[in-house]
Amino acid sequence: MSVIVLVEHTGGIIKKKNFEAVQYAAQIAKKTATTLTAVVLGNATNAEMEGLGAYGAQKVLHVADTRLNDLHARAYCKALLAAAEKEKSKIIITLHDISGRTVAPRVAVQLKAGIVAGALSIPDLEKGFVIKKAVFSGKAFAYVNILSDVKVIMLMPNAFPAVKAEGKAVVEQLAVSFDEKDFGVKVKSIDKVTGEVSLADAELVVSGGRGMKGPENWGILEDLAKELGAATACSRPVADSHWRPHHEHVGQTGGTVRPNLYIAVGISGAIQHLAGVNGSKTIVVINKDPEAPFFKAANYGIVGDAMEVLPRLTAAVRKFKEQHK
Amino acid sequence: MKILVCISQVPDTSTKIVLKNNDTSVNGDGVTYIINPYDEWYALVRAIELKEKGIASDIHLITVGKANVEPVIRKALSLGGDEAIRIDADSNDAYETAGYIAAYAAQVGYDLILCGKESIDYNNGITGTMLAGMLDMDYIGFATDIQVEAGVAVVKREVEGGEETDQCNLPLVISCQKGIAEARIPNMRGIMAARTRPLKVVEPSKIAALTAILSYELPPAKAGIKMISPDDMDQLVDLLHTEARVI
Amino acid sequence: MNATEPMKAIKGGEFLIRETAADSIFIPEEWNEEQLMIAETCTNFLAQQVTPNLQRIDEQEEGLMKHLMDEAGALGLLGISVPEELGGFGKDFKTSMLVTEKLGAGHSFSVAFSAHTGIGTMPILYYGNEAQKQKYVPKLASGEWKGAYCLTEPAAGSDANSGKTRAKLSADGKHYLITGQKMWITNAGFADVFTVFAKIDEDENLSAFIVEKDFEGLSLNTEEHKMGIKGSSTRQVFFNDCKVPVENLLSERQNGFKIAVNILNLGRIKLGGGTVGASKDVITASVRYANEREQFGRAISKYGAIRYKLAQQAIRTYASESAVYRACQNMEEATEMLIESGLDETKAKLKGTEQYAIEAAILKVHASEVLDYVTDEGVQIYGGMGYSAEAPMDRAYRDSRINRIFEGTNEINRLLTVDMMLKRALKGELDLMGPAQKVAGELVSIPDFGANDDDNLFSKEKKYIANFKKAILMVAGAAVQKLMAQLGKEQEVLMNLADMLIELYVSESLQLRVEKLVSLRGEDACKEQLDIMRVYINDAAEHLAKSGREALNSFAEGDERRMMLMGLKRFTKTEDFNTTQARRNIAAKLIAENKYCF
Repeated sequence: MSVIVLVEHTGGIIKKKNFEAVQYAAQIAKKTATTLTAVVLGNATNAEMEGLGAYGAQKVLHVADTRLNDLHARAYCKALLAAAEKEKSKIIITLHDISGRTVAPRVAVQLKAGIVAGALSIPDLEKGFVIKKAVFSGKAFAYVNILSDVKVIMLMPNAFPAVKAEGKAVVEQLAVSFDEKDFGVKVKSIDKVTGEVSLADAELVVSGGRGMKGPENWGILEDLAKELGAATACSRPVADSHWRPHHEHVGQTGGTVRPNLYIAVGISGAIQHLAGVNGSKTIVVINKDPEAPFFKAANYGIVGDAMEVLPRLTAAVRKFKEQHK
Repeated sequence: MKILVCISQVPDTSTKIVLKNNDTSVNGDGVTYIINPYDEWYALVRAIELKEKGIASDIHLITVGKANVEPVIRKALSLGGDEAIRIDADSNDAYETAGYIAAYAAQVGYDLILCGKESIDYNNGITGTMLAGMLDMDYIGFATDIQVEAGVAVVKREVEGGEETDQCNLPLVISCQKGIAEARIPNMRGIMAARTRPLKVVEPSKIAALTAILSYELPPAKAGIKMISPDDMDQLVDLLHTEARVI
Repeated sequence: MNATEPMKAIKGGEFLIRETAADSIFIPEEWNEEQLMIAETCTNFLAQQVTPNLQRIDEQEEGLMKHLMDEAGALGLLGISVPEELGGFGKDFKTSMLVTEKLGAGHSFSVAFSAHTGIGTMPILYYGNEAQKQKYVPKLASGEWKGAYCLTEPAAGSDANSGKTRAKLSADGKHYLITGQKMWITNAGFADVFTVFAKIDEDENLSAFIVEKDFEGLSLNTEEHKMGIKGSSTRQVFFNDCKVPVENLLSERQNGFKIAVNILNLGRIKLGGGTVGASKDVITASVRYANEREQFGRAISKYGAIRYKLAQQAIRTYASESAVYRACQNMEEATEMLIESGLDETKAKLKGTEQYAIEAAILKVHASEVLDYVTDEGVQIYGGMGYSAEAPMDRAYRDSRINRIFEGTNEINRLLTVDMMLKRALKGELDLMGPAQKVAGELVSIPDFGANDDDNLFSKEKKYIANFKKAILMVAGAAVQKLMAQLGKEQEVLMNLADMLIELYVSESLQLRVEKLVSLRGEDACKEQLDIMRVYINDAAEHLAKSGREALNSFAEGDERRMMLMGLKRFTKTEDFNTTQARRNIAAKLIAENKYCF
């Protein structure tokens, strides 16, 4: 009856958002008086897997097939189903990220399980199995009740804290027999964006808009991002003008980010842009137009020219880091 | 090659959400509806491009909704597409919605099913994956480029920390996002043709919803903004550290 | 007049003496799905291609305007009302008006668009022979060729027939050689085809010619520097023995002035639609700014002074729009009737439009003055930012101003409004005398206090409007009687009369629109529209009273003057009404919707 949670890794390294998922799942396990089993696919070290115990997993089922290092919808689904069957799970949890969204709905179909995508809360069991999630691009929340016996939850990254405690999980190997068909999607090439923080996972984001005036000015924005360890992003007009690559575009029709800190530089704050960033915990807006609508959605505002403010902010961050070494 | 494009009707991006019936439903009065941008700009336009290149032979558009979604599906037809199918049901449960579409798609048989990466109303982004599961088809999510040649699709997609190029035999379900195509505006010819293109209404198969929305809630108003002098960035850094606790 | 039954179709100018049934008019709340899709295409085109490039357009970046026109052509927007057999989409007049309205927010692009689809295309479409139409119209409808219209000359503006440009037949009889200078030619910089007006030899009247840009002897001056619409190409066009093949004579010799006048009728009502579209856009910007801008700790939209302005902008725009589409529908119905009676389609369209030339002139004046009002208050709402070239009001304010000047100045159009009305009365097409005498009779009888009138939602406003008609008939009747042949020279009186007619036509159109809207949606869904109607008609009564008094005081005397002034007071009397509260209601809706929403 264990709760199971899918834990992803990139080249064997488990990112923080997975600890969030483990801890979230552990709380649900506790609430439903059962244990938590994490599922790890592909190459991963024992130490990393055992470490999941520190976040509340009692057990790890490891499917060691190296083909699982890449995301394959069918194979991932099969592995999770095998784990669920072994543990007789009624609750299956993944993250609401690329892997989770590729796999979890498929698992739900196989198990005829109701699913909540982008969960923001621990299920409320008093009214059924009710989970809060954002709808209308963050303009409202919905409380969704899962009616089926088996439940699938996709947890929104960065919505739930991960606090490390003591503990070590028991690692068990799980054998799953795959067919050729399970790897029908062949990976031809991978173009990892290296050296930068990936936008979707970033906890800090520095984003530029038309107020940056041109691609030649992005250096000072990147300086700040580097100093903070932040990812860089941009608004739609900037991507459309090819000042920045499309994958940096956040907003209604681009990517959605939910970082702890979103610094918007020279972005006016059209509603379509806000829809992509309104899950951010703290928003700082730098704009020379005091009427920019973005100020209404911001926690901190600076009216000023980006070209002057950005270098000052970068310097202030550097100073802060030296003081807090 | 036959393509099915899944179309969802959503409130216009600038809609202010107002709740009613004791917060159990969203007030639709005066709301302007549009085609979900991911479905329109990316999935549908890419399908049209594949047809213009002679790669696709037929494009069918499918939506689940009552008669009030017809203006939106006809608008989609004005961009392109040979026929539209409306499954006459109303649901915001993904399993139910995907089930209706899968039942129809299984009858017709499509080589490629395209949908947007998510709808901007319920922000689930799971219909495509579910369809693939129900139809036992391969699935590639978050695609930024689709090329098809001789029954093989080459797809670029976003993965953790980068981009991957995949190859897969058809049939295939793909969810589409930014980069795949440029937005188009329906032209007069398309608008006039939309009226004459078939819009089939199909009775839904029997599927029970697995989730139900009990209530809605509006986010609390943002606490007032703190303005900081552009000359005092130390103060900002200090506030981010001590007050917001984000650095 | 009370005895006349409301009838379905009223003829041009008859609004002064007849009632119209609300259900017979078209209201913009009735657009069908296809028309809304076309409107959305226009809006998206502006948002994606035009609005982001307004600055570059105004700087006249090489090739940009032509490119935008090509794009509009690719979307089919340049051939909306051109028949399908000539490469267009054969849509009705209302639909082409809707397109004009939606693209009306495109600043200089709107001017290029209107000039091309209106005066650039229509002369050939309406007056061309089969060969001319086949040769030119499909290319104009697709946008492959761009059109322009050469009427005005340095010394011949409002007095167009006095132009000095001359055409003479070449020795071999194969060409006309045109010599002269044309001024303020919109789209000249990139046009491929010009409709050129010139007198042949010593003719009394103008003739029209189709001239291609590559014809020998045509040359362009440099771009004019203008106050606004800086992105619109405006040049002088020179003709120096310009060789035009004889088959390019448009219509018949000396028929040019008639062409010019009829094409202007169309242009005027189209200008009405375009300026309504521009007004709506400025209102949306004004509301948004008022909601964003905070002073003394509150958004300025919370202050009554600003709310008043927002409400006024919307009231006037909504009123103008009501009249534009009412007239549009009238023109369309008249055209249909003419086609049924055996006239061919293009002739019927021309004649149908001509029948409502009075209304077209009224709309041109009203809508252009509303836009000027709306942009002026838009600047004011923006405050300091309104005066900054970085904010959108600067361009809106400058671009608006031309609308009162081109397509016939508003003064010429006011004169025409009254002139056409009186001419039609003289010709017996419009019975003004009977109703005018009846009003004169009423002046000496005991006033009807209307106690028995049934008390429905609109009875008050209907009564006011019936009285407005009496006021105009009284003043106009007296003016004709007193001034006789001198009236034409008393331009101040003519302006007064025109202003009264304009207020009447717009008030009535607005009342009918709201009445029809209530019948479609119910009273509860039309609260703000009812307020718009009440405020507008309340204000119109005062404008009518003022104009009427000015006119009467200028030519009437003694007891007669006293009697008529008393009559005027009675005919422009309205019950006390809290316009402040009504305006607050209207503004509240705009502010909540954060855009023009009626």
